[in-house]
Amino acid sequence: MPEIVLDGVEKRYGRTQVLPPLDLTLEDGEFTVLVGPSGCGKSTTLRLLAGLETLSGGEITFDGRPISKLEPKARDVAMVFQDYALYPHMNVAKNMSFALRLSRVPKDEIDRRVAAAAEMLGIDHLLDRKPAALSGGQRQRVAMGRALVRDAGVFLFDEPLSNLDAKLRARMRTELAEMRNSIDKNMIYVTHDQVEAMTLGDRIVVMNAGRIQQQGTPEDLFERPVNKFVAGFIGAPTMNFLPARAEGDRLVGEGFDLPHPPGLPVPQGAVEIGIRPSAITVDHGAPLELRVVVAEYLGAQSVLVTRCGPHEVLAEVESATRAKPGETVRFAVDPAEIMIFDPETGTRLVPDGEG
Amino acid sequence: MERRANPAFYALLVALVLMAVGPIWLMLATSLKLNVDIISGTSALFFVPTLNNYETVLCDYLWYEPEHVRRCDRTFGRALVNSLIVSTVATFLTLILGCMAAYALVRFRFMGRGVTSLTTLLVRMVPPAVLLVPVFGIWTFQYGLDGSRAGLVLVYVAMNLPFVIWILQSFIVQVPIQLEEAARMDGAGPFRTFFLVVLPLIKPGLAAAAIFTFRIAWNEFLLANALADRNTRTVPVVIVNSITEYDIDWGVIMATGMLLAIPPILFTLVASRQIITGMTAGAVKG
Repeated sequence: MPEIVLDGVEKRYGRTQVLPPLDLTLEDGEFTVLVGPSGCGKSTTLRLLAGLETLSGGEITFDGRPISKLEPKARDVAMVFQDYALYPHMNVAKNMSFALRLSRVPKDEIDRRVAAAAEMLGIDHLLDRKPAALSGGQRQRVAMGRALVRDAGVFLFDEPLSNLDAKLRARMRTELAEMRNSIDKNMIYVTHDQVEAMTLGDRIVVMNAGRIQQQGTPEDLFERPVNKFVAGFIGAPTMNFLPARAEGDRLVGEGFDLPHPPGLPVPQGAVEIGIRPSAITVDHGAPLELRVVVAEYLGAQSVLVTRCGPHEVLAEVESATRAKPGETVRFAVDPAEIMIFDPETGTRLVPDGEG
Repeated sequence: MERRANPAFYALLVALVLMAVGPIWLMLATSLKLNVDIISGTSALFFVPTLNNYETVLCDYLWYEPEHVRRCDRTFGRALVNSLIVSTVATFLTLILGCMAAYALVRFRFMGRGVTSLTTLLVRMVPPAVLLVPVFGIWTFQYGLDGSRAGLVLVYVAMNLPFVIWILQSFIVQVPIQLEEAARMDGAGPFRTFFLVVLPLIKPGLAAAAIFTFRIAWNEFLLANALADRNTRTVPVVIVNSITEYDIDWGVIMATGMLLAIPPILFTLVASRQIITGMTAGAVKG
């Protein structure tokens, strides 16, 4: 379980820079999630760690030991691939034991480790099957089992759940979270799904265009995003962003006039405000009046897509309110939940005490 | 209205079947006749089938001595063995070299990869007849390979390699790169990745290439005729050479022809069982 340090790691293909120099330290025994939109460099970072790509610059160290020149097998890492990558001509047991057989681990030791991993993943009845005879979820388990039996110091997951259907994904996510607690290893997990990131990560690293935007616990990212990108990426439905002007202790924009959030310094001139859909509630006495365009019924909650001047505003409300498209509804916004961003740089205005 | 089949359609079908099966039937029938029956021409359909011709061809390998064979001519038997050895070895070598070359062309980046990949097929476009004279010259005067089985094997490998590489390239491209990456993560070097992961998955391609190579090597006449000597001649050469101005033993020629047809058929049957689709099913999410 090494401490992993990426020091100025970069990757170029010819003249195209896919990953500008990146610094990142991953603590011992942590479950780190790299999250970001596609093409943000998270998978490249993982492949550099795995040794499937060569670095164009910088150095990766495991516990101070430089590893960037080492072959994958010398790095003590195991990887779960996005599309499983099971060997189709081998059965499940053979798939899982391939690495062990290559390194000539004794037969009974192999059997023991395969059996243990298979039991943990609930695939012990499938050991004789070929991958073609497995369902998507079972294949994913085998792929994980193959990494587990290695007993490597570092586990890398490259969007392992993205090919599963929604229900199965949710279940595997729970199981992964359970597994995370029972295995005391360094795990690095790449995903574009912020829900996976939030539920699994001890620490989340949000990346965009090859740069780390913010890293921290799920709570950090949700409650104290450093900039507009992180605020918009974390949380579902996504945060509403509206251009506004600071006028005294009011924030005024097209179609709204909101109080200034308490505790924040008062900015000058144009700002961009962010309000999470969950911070907007239906309140018939409130001054904010919005016209409902679409009502997305989700069960207990409904997401109302409303019009606020030229902008769309999402509100997550109790379904009991029964707002219909075309109606004009009055909404209240909790001033404490309003975030203010610099319209130029996108950075969030923070209270004097914070950050 | 029910569609009526056109009688002309059936006529065409019958004609095609006759054209395809006719010669084989003629060969089989003739091989089972005595020379008397063959020459007489009256008993084209009615004759007493005999294995005499086959006994003559295989006299060297029979456990008994056929009465009608006065002097056992070993030529045909020897030619069959030559054909088997040359074709099998050539196929084997072509496949080994072909799959490794194809893998290198598909997966490794090196200077001149594109050119090499294209020119492999270009070589194939040269007809063997063009190669005949230079090959004969080089094999005879430079390497002294004339009259040896090794010389034949070498030229067949060279002839078939481009096409085999080309076939196998298309199969190797279909092996998901993630599988090789997974193997690499599991600690396999390039050779073990190739032999333990890639090779089992391109079995259908290997089978197709094997059938192709074996049949070409088995049937090849032109180069074999020029390069082989008395002891190393293959069956096609021997058949043609047995037609002399003094004697044409049709029965024996046809029997040899039938025997000549059997190995490729067996080989194709065995190899084609490997040609199944969906070898990579379940490897990665389609």
